[in-house]
Formats: sequence, structure tokens, C-alpha cells
Amino acid sequence: MPIRVRLDRLLLERRMSLTELADRVGVTIANLSILKTGKARAIRFSTLASLCRELECQPGDLVVWEPGPPGEPEDDGPEE
Amino acid sequence: MRALGPGSVSSFLKVILDVVRWVLVLSAIGVSVGIVACLLMSFNPELLGGSVDIGDIHIKGAWLGPIAAAALLAIDLYLAGALVIVGRLRRIFQTLIVGDPFHPANVRRLRIIGAALAALELGRYLFTGVGRLFAHSLRLARIDAGGVNLTTWFAVLVIVVLAEVFREGARLRGEAELTI
Repeated sequence: MPIRVRLDRLLLERRMSLTELADRVGVTIANLSILKTGKARAIRFSTLASLCRELECQPGDLVVWEPGPPGEPEDDGPEE
Repeated sequence: MRALGPGSVSSFLKVILDVVRWVLVLSAIGVSVGIVACLLMSFNPELLGGSVDIGDIHIKGAWLGPIAAAALLAIDLYLAGALVIVGRLRRIFQTLIVGDPFHPANVRRLRIIGAALAALELGRYLFTGVGRLFAHSLRLARIDAGGVNLTTWFAVLVIVVLAEVFREGARLRGEAELTI
């Protein structure tokens, strides 16, 4: 999927750990890890708002679209 | 009355399926022993009583053992098919008891149930056809169990559709799990 989550870069810039962010946002570390590694299929507006609030950034800083290689599907999630 | 979860209707049905499974297993074992016994006793037909009367047809001698064994083998195959269906149903109900009906494995289980049901029905046609041919050529008994059962085929189609419904449910469940 050509949507990339730049959570690791933002955490590095803010010198914040994943555990600390998870505590502040109220999301489990496991879920934040899924988001960070790009395995997430979707993100709720409420989660996005909380992340932007704690990281002091805009949604566009957190989520970006990068064109993938030709032929890569827009949505490559599992069927079953 | 709850349909899902521990102590629900699903839980009660699972207990019934457990009992049915054991009845089927014991029946299959009993029939298998019967097959072996019939084949062994076919060497000495007098042990089987010598002859059997079905209507105005008289079966006697060396045919009695093999015919009885073939009939029991058909019953055993039918029981095996029923066991496959009941086994998969049990596992589906296990997921219902833990409150997870759209487990991805349930899609495959439903497809297997549909295929087993269709195979059992086709097997019935095959057994009836072969049996009629055999009975006609040897002037033995008449077999009257070969009609097309529309209810069974309707059930097969319903199960196929249900499997697709569960596939869609499992897909949505997967998406929900990966929604942060």
C-alpha cells in the first residue's frame, strides 16, 4: 500500500518512546507497533487526532502517500 | 437467552454434537467389525443363517456374506461422511462459544461441510445405481432409495452461500483487527 506512516521519524524527532506515546494516546503498544511498521489497514480519526495532539504535528506529517512500484495494488490487504 | 458465548444455545448445541459424534464413532466401529465378520463368515455361509428372504426374493449361499459386507461398507462410508460434517460443525460451534463466529477457519469448515453433504448425496446415487444393476443382474432384491433429494441440494447451496457470508465476515474482522 503506498500510504506510509512516519511514526518512527516523529518519535525520533520528539525524543519520545513508543511506550510513552502509547500511554499518552491510550492505544496499546501492540497497536502502535502495527501502525509504525505499516501493517495497519486503517486509522480512526480519533486515534489520528490523539497522535497529532501528543506529537504536536499535522496529519500530513504522520501519514504520507508515496507512489509504489508500477503494478503494486492500492490496497494489498489479506483476503481471508 | 444468548446465542453466543459460554452457557449459551451454542454451548448446548455443542454438547449435542459431542454426543452425536460419539454415537457416530461407535456406530462406525460396530459396522466395521460387522464388515469383517461378514467377510469372514462368507467362507462358511451356514454361519449367517444360510439364507435371507426379502419379499419374494430368496438370497442364499455364497452371496449372502459379500452382499451384507457391501451394504455395511456403504453404511460405514455414510457414517464417515456424517462424522466429517459433525466434526466440522463442532469446531464451528467451539468458535461460537468463545464469541468469535467470523474466525477465518470457519469459512473452510463450512465449505467442507457443503462438499461432504454433496459427496454423501452423490455417493447415495452411486450406491443405489450399482446396487440396482447388481440386484437386477442377479435377480436379488429391488432397491428403492435412488430418488433425487432436493432438500439436500438446497441445503448444499445454502451452506455454500453461508460460507461466502462467513468469508466476508472474516475479511471485515481482519480489517477491524488492523484498524488502529
